[in-house]
Amino acid sequence: MSELLAVDNLQKYFPVTRGLVFQKEVGQVKAVDGVSFTLEKGETLGVVGESGCGKSTMARCIARLLEPTGGSITFDGREITHLKRNDMRPVRRDMMMVFQDPYASLNARKRVGSIVGEPLEVHGIGTDQDRKRRVQELLEIVGLNPEHYNRFPHEFSGGQRQRIGIARALVINPKLVICDEPVSALDVSVQAQILNLLKDLQQDFDLTYIFIAHDLNVVRHVSDRVMVMYLGKPVETALKQDLYTEPKHPYTGALLSAVPIAEPTAGRARKQIVLTGDVPSPLNPPTACRFHPRCPRFVDGKCNVDEPLLTPAPGQPEHEFACHFPLERWPMDEDEIRRRPAFAGTTTSPAPASAE
Amino acid sequence: MAILDVTDLTTRFRTDDGIVKAVSGVSFSLDKGKTLGVVGESGSGKSVTFLTLMGLVDKRHAEVSGSVIFDGDEILGLSSSRLRNIRGKRIGMIFQDPMTSLNPVKKIGWQLEEAVMLHNDVTKDEARRRAIEILKEVEIPKADTRVDDYPHQFSGGMRQRVMIAMALINNPEVLIADEPTTALDVTTQAQILRLMTKLQQDHEMAIVMITHDLGVVAELADDVLVMYGGRVVEEAVVDDLFAKPEMPYTWGLLGSLPRLHVTSERLEQIPGQPPSLLHPPRGCAFNPRCAYAFDRCREELPELRAGAVGVDHRFRCHLADEDRARIWEAKKATLEREGSAA
Repeated sequence: MSELLAVDNLQKYFPVTRGLVFQKEVGQVKAVDGVSFTLEKGETLGVVGESGCGKSTMARCIARLLEPTGGSITFDGREITHLKRNDMRPVRRDMMMVFQDPYASLNARKRVGSIVGEPLEVHGIGTDQDRKRRVQELLEIVGLNPEHYNRFPHEFSGGQRQRIGIARALVINPKLVICDEPVSALDVSVQAQILNLLKDLQQDFDLTYIFIAHDLNVVRHVSDRVMVMYLGKPVETALKQDLYTEPKHPYTGALLSAVPIAEPTAGRARKQIVLTGDVPSPLNPPTACRFHPRCPRFVDGKCNVDEPLLTPAPGQPEHEFACHFPLERWPMDEDEIRRRPAFAGTTTSPAPASAE
Repeated sequence: MAILDVTDLTTRFRTDDGIVKAVSGVSFSLDKGKTLGVVGESGSGKSVTFLTLMGLVDKRHAEVSGSVIFDGDEILGLSSSRLRNIRGKRIGMIFQDPMTSLNPVKKIGWQLEEAVMLHNDVTKDEARRRAIEILKEVEIPKADTRVDDYPHQFSGGMRQRVMIAMALINNPEVLIADEPTTALDVTTQAQILRLMTKLQQDHEMAIVMITHDLGVVAELADDVLVMYGGRVVEEAVVDDLFAKPEMPYTWGLLGSLPRLHVTSERLEQIPGQPPSLLHPPRGCAFNPRCAYAFDRCREELPELRAGAVGVDHRFRCHLADEDRARIWEAKKATLEREGSAA
């Protein structure tokens, strides 16, 4: 395996301006603030977080649909962070996106054939006939009928439209496909169809995915590794099996336990951590650990002063988290999670530490 | 005792293309203080069923029949003025999208006070007191100042709390929640579900929870209706439904659910698309997508009947009881094997 994508300390700040004519910068929204990861060929990285955590902005920066403020992006051995428009064009052939809303991401006035064939046209690949053949081949691969070539998007259901979006992304054989919430607008039964399709395509065409979702169940099904983001920063990155069985960051724990379980007895028996409040504004993020105002393990004088850095978990080099008081075990309920291990300077009970 | 008793509710919309059979012969009853979960995909008729019983479908384009008994009185076909005494007062409703359900140019307080003053003979001050009180009850911080904010100053989860406050402000006996958490993040969803459970206990309300999320149903509901193609295809007590679903569509729904504790590589999928309600398939609406369909399924609509388990668990399926039991046992074994591998 070799490395396809390396993102290092990626930042995207949006200026906040006031005034109509003389726009004065009054602040910055730090939508993405220091994201680093690498992605191997053929791997799937799942990215999860609540709305507003910067996961879509990050994807758009990687695809260079937005200009990153800082950091670097290396794709297929080439630094692409500040490539000019023209230089970027050949790179775009290898990097495609599938968007969330299949109703908004397909041009309603174009026929399916020209929507799916557009990437070929833009990059000047093949003759008209070659393109048509390729498009029809792709429609078949994603489970549509090649005869749908001349139809309009409105003639299709949500799931079928998402298949069109996937066909468009794959038509020029990209290496990396960034899926930004590709199934969140779909019904469960159709969602399963699309998830299975994406997995099959990955095997058949040796694709690498960045898979963004807010649903941990969905991410688990498709990912090899998962990154959890909170307010523009990754708080935990781990191999799939580690993240779901041994989450370290309290936020990951809260996300995991918030998912309703489709089994009444298991659901009633489980331990749940319900966070209070909402994600704070990225315009004025909390100091140090950005999760501290909502964190059940918050320690005054530590979490709001000293920012935790991403550090590997003992014995799991690929499992990194940013927390001063990581979870000792999982699952935990709200009382257990509050009884954090003793910390110099506080007088909380050290009881549960002995259990480990 | 049933607070809401619906019998054979049918809604047909006249359109230029023909008649859309949105809801066909839906019957159920809801007891005081209980929660009824209604599950189905988009276009299964779950929302229209409840819009119809609230008298919210446009009579010029819709044909409605059946009966809806609310607290002993027939409410289907009541005049708008009579219905107004029930809607928003004795039956509250929460919609999916909290942004489009609130008036963006009116303060939250104004919108809440309006709901109070419409149904009660109170002064503006009293209404405002009540508005602040209910905002506190739905756990909005600093309720006495936030009451003068506009909807855009609230986050999605907070707006949904305001919607819940508005639905509850007149102490309704029934609360109909149409996908109340679909637009929200999981963490916010957990907050809202917990809040609804608490409020249900405090107010002794009956709740109808319309959702496509089987997880939410498992968590909250006492009884469940599974809808498909405008019909109820299975109804049961929540534990029975998840322990022993009887209808192939319910099997498909349970199988296609990505779950945290299941690690299988592939999800089971239901092939095809939900049926068109304009030209529904002959026989059982699910037959084109059903792996077990045989000739009879394509000809004859199965009755909603009870199987071997008991009278409370009813479903529509032509498969013989022993065949269904065998198929489900096999499926359950696969699901559990995957579960234990996790």
